[in-house]
Amino acid sequence: MSSYDLILSRDSYLLAFELRLFWSITFLYGLSFLLFAFHILSRTPVLGKAARTTLILSVIAHTALIVLRTFEGGRAPFQTLYESLSWFAWSASLTFLYVSRKWKDIHIPGVFVTVLAMGACLYALLSRSPAVEPLAPPLQSYWFEWHVILAFFSYAVFVVSASIEATYLGVKPLIGRGAEAYGFSSDMLEDFHSMAFKLVLFGFPLLTFGIFSGAAWANEAWGRYWSWDPKETWSLITWTVFALYLHAKAIPRFKGLPASVINIVGFICMMMTFLGVNWLAKLLGVPSLHIYAV
Amino acid sequence: MRYNSFTEKLKNYFTGLGDRHAGSRRFLCWSYKQLSSITTSVYLLGLMALFFMVGTIFPQGGSIDDYIKEGGGFVFFVKLFGLLDFFSSPLFLILAFIFFLNLAICTYERLLVLQESPTFPKSYEPTHILMLAPDFSNAHSELRNAFAKLKFKVVSKDDDWTVVEKGLPYKWLTWLYHLGIILCFLGFILTYLFSFEGTITLKPREAQTLVPDTTGRIQSLWKDKTGQTDFHLKLDSFHTEYAEAPELDFPKDKLSRLAIGLGWKSPDYEMKGESLTAKDWRAKIKVIKGSGTLAEQTVEINEPLEYGNYTFYLLGFEQNFRLSVEDNPILLEAKEDEDIFIPGLGDSIKFGTFRSGTLYKLDGTIEMLKPYTIVKHTGKDTDEELGRIEPGAIMEIDGVNIKLVEVEESAILSYRYDPGVGILWWGGILVLVAMALRFYGSWYRIAYQVTDTASIELNIMTRGLGSSSTKIIKSLEKHLPITKQS
Ligand code: HEM
Repeated sequence: MSSYDLILSRDSYLLAFELRLFWSITFLYGLSFLLFAFHILSRTPVLGKAARTTLILSVIAHTALIVLRTFEGGRAPFQTLYESLSWFAWSASLTFLYVSRKWKDIHIPGVFVTVLAMGACLYALLSRSPAVEPLAPPLQSYWFEWHVILAFFSYAVFVVSASIEATYLGVKPLIGRGAEAYGFSSDMLEDFHSMAFKLVLFGFPLLTFGIFSGAAWANEAWGRYWSWDPKETWSLITWTVFALYLHAKAIPRFKGLPASVINIVGFICMMMTFLGVNWLAKLLGVPSLHIYAV
Repeated sequence: MRYNSFTEKLKNYFTGLGDRHAGSRRFLCWSYKQLSSITTSVYLLGLMALFFMVGTIFPQGGSIDDYIKEGGGFVFFVKLFGLLDFFSSPLFLILAFIFFLNLAICTYERLLVLQESPTFPKSYEPTHILMLAPDFSNAHSELRNAFAKLKFKVVSKDDDWTVVEKGLPYKWLTWLYHLGIILCFLGFILTYLFSFEGTITLKPREAQTLVPDTTGRIQSLWKDKTGQTDFHLKLDSFHTEYAEAPELDFPKDKLSRLAIGLGWKSPDYEMKGESLTAKDWRAKIKVIKGSGTLAEQTVEINEPLEYGNYTFYLLGFEQNFRLSVEDNPILLEAKEDEDIFIPGLGDSIKFGTFRSGTLYKLDGTIEMLKPYTIVKHTGKDTDEELGRIEPGAIMEIDGVNIKLVEVEESAILSYRYDPGVGILWWGGILVLVAMALRFYGSWYRIAYQVTDTASIELNIMTRGLGSSSTKIIKSLEKHLPITKQS
C-alpha cells in the first residue's frame, strides 16, 4: 500500500467511526428528549432524572466526538456548517447541564434543549457534508475563530435562557395546581425565572463581540465591515431584540410578560441567524437573488 | 429621573421669542421629552428590528426588472419604499436618524443625572435580617469595621440607616457603552457618506495608477475633484500555495447516510483528477512615486495593505495565456477557462487554472509545483481533458501544433476608502469593555441598621453577574458573631 492509500484509508476509517459515534450521540439526545417529554406528560420525577442522566452521557460522548474531529481536521472544529451544528448541540446541552446543576428536581427546560440538540445533529448528518477539507483562504483568520466561538457560546446561552423562559410561562399558571410534581414551588419560581434574565445578561456581550469580530473579520478579508448580507442582518436583528429585552426589563410596564415574549422572539431570531436566513423570503414568495454561501 | 434640563432651555429660548412660536415650542419640547425616554427606545428598537427584517426578505442590491422577472411580488410597495435598496432608502434612514437622536439625547440627559450627587431614601425595606449573639456589644462599630474590611465605602449615613457601596460604578459603565454605540453610529454615518470602493488589476511588473471610478455620496457633489492618486502600485511577484485535497465519496440521500451511521456502508476519501485547492495567495506589492518606493508589503487575504487613505485587499488573481498556433508569430490570447477558437482546428479549446507555486502534499511533504495547466476540448455539456501542458511546451491537438508561449498572472485587488472604520473601532472597543465590566463585574449597595433587638437589617442591592448577596452575607459571618439569618 502506498503512503497515500494508507492516509486515505486512515482518514476514511476515522470519518466512518466519527459518523457512527455522531449517530449514536444523536440517538442519545433523542432518547433524552423522549424521557423529558414523558416526564412532563406523566409527572414522574424519576423519568426526568433518567433524561438528565442520558443527556450527561450524550454530552460526554459528544465531547469525545469534538476532540476526534479536532484531531481529524487539525484545526478548531466549528468551521463548516456540519461542524458548527454539532458544536451548537454540544455547547447548548453543556450550558444547560451547567446552569441546571442546582435545580435538583426541575427537568422541564431539558425538553427544549434536547429537541434542538437532536434537530441540529440530524440536520448536520442528513443534509451537510462531513468532509474534512482545507479551509478557504478567507476563513483562515483569528477574527473568524473568535467570531464563531463567541457567537456560538452566546447561542448556547440564549437557547437555555429561552427554555427557562418557556418553562416559566408554562408552569406559572400551574403553581398550586400541580407544578410541585415538576419540582416547582411558589417561593422559588421567580428565582428560577431570574436565571433567564441572567443568561441573557451573560450572552449579550458575547453576541456583541461575535458581531463585532465578524465585522472586523469582514473588514480584514474584504474591506467592507458590513454588507447587509441576510445572515449579518439577522444577527443584528437578534442583537436588537435582546437589547429590547434588556430595556424592557428596566421598565415596570414591560418587565413581566412582554419581556418574556421578547426573550423568546430573540431566541427565534437567533435560530433564523443560524439556519434559516431565507425562510421568510420563501414564505412570502420573494425570490432571493442574494445567495449566502455557508 | 430628571430628563428636563434641555427642555427647560428650549422653553426659555422660545418664550423669549414670544407667542408666535408657542406651537413650535410645545412641539419641540414634546419631541425632546419623547426622545429622552427609554420607553421610546423600546418602541424604536422594535421598529428597527422590523425594518432590518424587511431588508432580509427582499433581495438587496438587485434591480427592479430582475426582481419582476424572477416573479417577485409586492411590486408596488417594493417601488414605493425602495425595498431593494432598503438600507439606503429615506424610510430606513429617517428611522435610523430618529433612533440616533433618541440614543444621543438619552445619553446626554443621563450624563446630567449621573453628575448630580445621589440622593438616598429615608428608610429601606430589609432584604436580609441577621441576628447577633446575645452577649455581643458594640454592634455599630464592629459592623462598620466589617464593611471596611470588605472594602465597602460609606456613601450616606443618618440616624438609622448607613449606606455603603463597593464595586464597579455600573451606571457609568452603562453610560459608557451607550456612548460607545453613539461612536459606532458616527462611524456608520461617515462610512455611509464618504466611503467608496473598486477593483484594480495589477499586471506583473507594470506600475499602475489608481484612478477611482466611483466616489462616496458626499464627494460626488464635487466629483471632478477626486482624481487619480499621486502614487503607483506595482506587483512585484505573485505566489500561490496549494493543498492536496482528496474528495469524499459520500451519499446525498438520507437512507444511505443512515446506513453509514449504522455501519452498513463506509465513506471513502479518494484522489480524483487534480485534487488541488488553493490554500493561500500572496502578492508582493510596492507603492512607488517617481523612482522611490514608499511602501512594500506582501498582501494576502486577511492581510491588506494600507496606504494613503486607502486599504488594498487581495481578492484573487487573473491568468492570461498566450499561445501560438503552428509557429505563427501572431499570438492568441485567452483567459483561464475561456473558450479560444483555434484556426485549423475547427473547434474551441480552453485552459484550466494555471498551477504554479508551493504544494502542501497529503503526506506532509512540501514541493514546488512544476508549472502547468490542463488543456480541455470544449464540449456541449462537459469538457474533455486533453492533457497537461507546461509553459514553452507544444501540444498537438488533432494534427495542429499549439505552443503555450507564456502565462501572465495578475493580482486583482480591491481598494476601499472608508473614514468610518477608525471611529467604529474605538466605539466598538468602548462598547465591549464597558459592557463586559458592567455585566460580568460586580457592584453592591448595602443599607443597614442595627436594631434594638440586636439584629441587623440589611437592604442589599447588587448589579453585575459577579455579585451575589449570599457571598456578602457569608463574608459578614466571618467577621461578626451572627447566629441566625432570615
Ligand atoms: C442600539 C441601542 C442600544 C443598546 C444595544 C442598548 C443596550 C442596553 C442594555 C443592554 C441595557 C441594560 C443593562 C444595563 O443596565 O447596563 C441598557 C440600559 C439602558 N438603556 Fe440602553 N441600549 C441602546 C439604546 C438606548 C437608547 C436609545 C436609550 C434611550 C432612552 C437607552 C437608555 C437606556 C437606559 C436609561 C438604561 C438603564 C436602564 C436601567 O436603569 O436599568 N438605551 N441599554
